Amino acid sequence: MQYSQKVLDHFMNPHNVGKMENPDAVATEGSPACGDQVTIYLKIDEGSKKIDDISFLSYGCASNIATASIITDLAKGKTLDEAKNITWQDAMEALDGLPPVKVHCSVLAADTLQTAISNYEIEHGLKDVPNFGKETILEELKKIIYPQVGEDIVTLKMVKYVGFDNGEVLIDLNIMSFDEWRDNVAEEIREHLSKYPEVKNIQINFP
Amino acid sequence: MTPGKIYMDNCVTSPLDPEVLQAMLPYFSEKFWMPGTFISTGETTNNALDEFRQIIAKTLNADPAELHFTSGGTVANNIAIKGLANAHAASGKHAIVSLVDYPDLLTNAAWLEKQGFEVSYLEPDEQGVVSAEKLAAAIRPDTTLFLTTIVNHVVGTIQPMAEYKKVLENAGHKIYWHADAGQAYGKMHLDVKDLGVDSLSVSAHKIHGPQGIGALFVKKGTRMAQLIHGVSRIGSVQPGGVSIALIAGFAKAAEINFADLDATISQLRGLSDYLLERLEAEIPEIELNGPRHEGRISHNINISIAYIEGEAITMMLDMKGITVATGSACASQGLKPSYVLMAMGKNHVQSHGSMKFTLSRYNTREEIDTAVKALAEITAQLRERSPLYQATHSQEK
Repeated sequence: MQYSQKVLDHFMNPHNVGKMENPDAVATEGSPACGDQVTIYLKIDEGSKKIDDISFLSYGCASNIATASIITDLAKGKTLDEAKNITWQDAMEALDGLPPVKVHCSVLAADTLQTAISNYEIEHGLKDVPNFGKETILEELKKIIYPQVGEDIVTLKMVKYVGFDNGEVLIDLNIMSFDEWRDNVAEEIREHLSKYPEVKNIQINFP
Repeated sequence: MTPGKIYMDNCVTSPLDPEVLQAMLPYFSEKFWMPGTFISTGETTNNALDEFRQIIAKTLNADPAELHFTSGGTVANNIAIKGLANAHAASGKHAIVSLVDYPDLLTNAAWLEKQGFEVSYLEPDEQGVVSAEKLAAAIRPDTTLFLTTIVNHVVGTIQPMAEYKKVLENAGHKIYWHADAGQAYGKMHLDVKDLGVDSLSVSAHKIHGPQGIGALFVKKGTRMAQLIHGVSRIGSVQPGGVSIALIAGFAKAAEINFADLDATISQLRGLSDYLLERLEAEIPEIELNGPRHEGRISHNINISIAYIEGEAITMMLDMKGITVATGSACASQGLKPSYVLMAMGKNHVQSHGSMKFTLSRYNTREEIDTAVKALAEITAQLRERSPLYQATHSQEK
């Protein structure tokens, strides 16, 4: 599958791109080692809690740039509560779809937006720093896309067990040894979870 | 935009020379016959085949009887590696390859392991060179096979074939040596008698010949188990029908490329040197992957561009009609960075930002100017959007 015209348009002429001076909130997700990284800046009206301005920077491929661009379009002018409901599926839809192997790129941009909002809320005393636990791990696993079909591993019932005890994460995955995407999935899980200071060790088991 | 108007991905496949097309046409139409004896149609094809085989054998300094036509380089590699392994497994089941070999060799090495072979994977240095010392250290009494890619398909590094030869001669027992010459053929001097290999594969479409035809050199007297069985029309390692038209095209492409090989090489070297010079002059913070000048094949330039990602770069160049390749994981089917660059000790970012240009005699300096100018603009644009670049360069503004 090729990129849609919408993806190409947003990739070649991204909206809301560039570094923002004096943002009210900022978040960076991803890492250069994993091949993509997105930064999102927000300017928020203190009274109405509306996103007055938003911009992004992206180190990544065409779909990474395009999804970051569309996410900023979707979030602009929305209140924080409205913007919290924007998902990577919304970004995908707005772009007329992505090749399955590229779906994981749309997760990163959506994720970065949510982190930026969360950072703002924590900083302004609107919410507490969330406790890390099994639920957090499950939420992160919902962001891991199985590249062959472009859906997350929780929906695809690839996660058999999740445990968290004393900094130790234990995950049982139902992915066979001959599956060419097994290492990619495991690597991405490690990438997502290792950003939490609470996580000391991650053990992933396969059948 | 015309796709591939400026085409710089010739290591994958190269445009057909119009003269080659003309040379093939009669064999697709009026002279389509299979080789055979006693009747004029078959004899005509026989005679043509003899002539073509001689032309191509000469380019490798092989005897015509040592040259077998195959339907491409990958088929040639499979016939040789599996044929040698099957014929000589009784003398030992240890094979040696390197981590940076062409996928044909590495996938065959994986097959060898399934057949009960032990395989040693030699590590390259930071330039992609696999040293003869590493080979010497890996040799065991049961080593029967050594596989080499003469010129690396990613960074153009030329492996030390003469030194390998000495090591293998001093091994104390016979080790069969197969070489993939896909990227070397037509871009450097190859003399199979001098090289000392037992078998060597080449393919036509990398030197402006047609796709779907290659050749395997098998040294006289080398025992190789038959891998493909069928009707033998020309006594080849690959039985079955032959495409006389494709072979005619192969011969014509070889004739043109090798008419003055030194001139071909120096033209390619001149273009590559100019490309690298322009890239280094126009784009800050890039680095060359693989050796500079000496030790590098004449048509390959591979660079890493800091702070940005290769799939985005190749797509933006593609929209301007410029075709190049990248080692970025995002551009690969398996979402993996280039295994060659990683084995050379490069990091993920260097691999993600790597761009490979492989030139041909059809490229011009004007094309290089256009491509470098476009790449410089794209680099500036993508760096402006890159958090990695902004993080390190925002103070400078």
